[in-house]
Amino acid sequence: MSTGSLQTTAAVTAGLERIPDQLGYLVISEDGVLASSGELENDEHTAGVMMQMVRTASRFRLAGLADVPFKRMSVILEDFVFTVTASGQKVFVVKRQHNQQEPISV
Amino acid sequence: MESTLEQHLDDTMKNPAVVGVLCTDEQGHNLACRGSLSDEHGGVVSVLAKQAAALTRDPTDTPTVCLESDSGTILVRSHGTVTVAVHKISS
Amino acid sequence: MGCCYSSDNESADQDNERKPLITHPNPVSKPPNGTDWITPTVPSARTDEQALLTSILTKTAQNIIDVSAADSVMMEQHEYMDKARQYSTKLTVLSSSMPQTKGLALPSLTSQPHQVLASDLVPYSDVQQVSKIAAYAFSAISQIKVDAKEELVVQFVIP
Repeated sequence: MSTGSLQTTAAVTAGLERIPDQLGYLVISEDGVLASSGELENDEHTAGVMMQMVRTASRFRLAGLADVPFKRMSVILEDFVFTVTASGQKVFVVKRQHNQQEPISV
Repeated sequence: MESTLEQHLDDTMKNPAVVGVLCTDEQGHNLACRGSLSDEHGGVVSVLAKQAAALTRDPTDTPTVCLESDSGTILVRSHGTVTVAVHKISS
Repeated sequence: MGCCYSSDNESADQDNERKPLITHPNPVSKPPNGTDWITPTVPSARTDEQALLTSILTKTAQNIIDVSAADSVMMEQHEYMDKARQYSTKLTVLSSSMPQTKGLALPSLTSQPHQVLASDLVPYSDVQQVSKIAAYAFSAISQIKVDAKEELVVQFVIP
């Protein structure tokens, strides 16, 4: 186990504050919202949906892999992106601005 | 109609970065799938798309859900009554 | 293989649920008003019917709370404390052997949440690609012939 798992919530929120394009964040546990800021301040609705989505996504398995096959979930909307991860029985959500608007043809 | 969708998925799989593709309806019934994505994933894919829609009040703003790892990304997106999942590996 | 609501399993579960957590330490004081349904001197050659009746009686006796007799069973304070302590130790033992349901509900996706959340976003080209695939799939289902000469998803540039 890496030492990173010992990061406290305070250390993580301090880190989240420093993400340059962040518009707000949420730290959620089973019992509810532990910390929130910016556009996600006290956003219980988003917190609830994100908890549901993490639970749904954690049921996703790829053939031959026992573990959850992702470390981050992003929900991309027209004007912003939610990036979500789970660690130490907590779910972290950061609302970020799109950093690229240039449509790239494929 | 069936064959048009099957053809579409075959064409999608021709992209070397794409290793799996799946198409499901609103109830999570699988319509077609290829590669790493199979019948068992239909339910989770359609539920994720539905849950993500609750994150915006704008009904025209369709969310794209991405499950990201170092090796690749599974992208989920709805259009009308269908939801597709595309598994891309990092190049 | 049993059927869904097999009564055998159900009754077994119920018995387990209603069984006292701590067995009575002093069985003599059990029926305080002296209604001794379960006679210790059961005839050795008892029939199945008798055994069944005895078991019904035992169950009934267990389910009855004799309120009129409650007054006569006075418990000293230290007895209450002893019981409370017994229950709490018993509960600790039981709960530690139970599966951690909360632990299962939330996965651990990373040990470095901050780094994971701050890393680059999914390329916009990938998002465009999947929206295009979804749009084509929908058209295929809707039997609409798509003459794909242009991008199906148009990016609106807001100045």
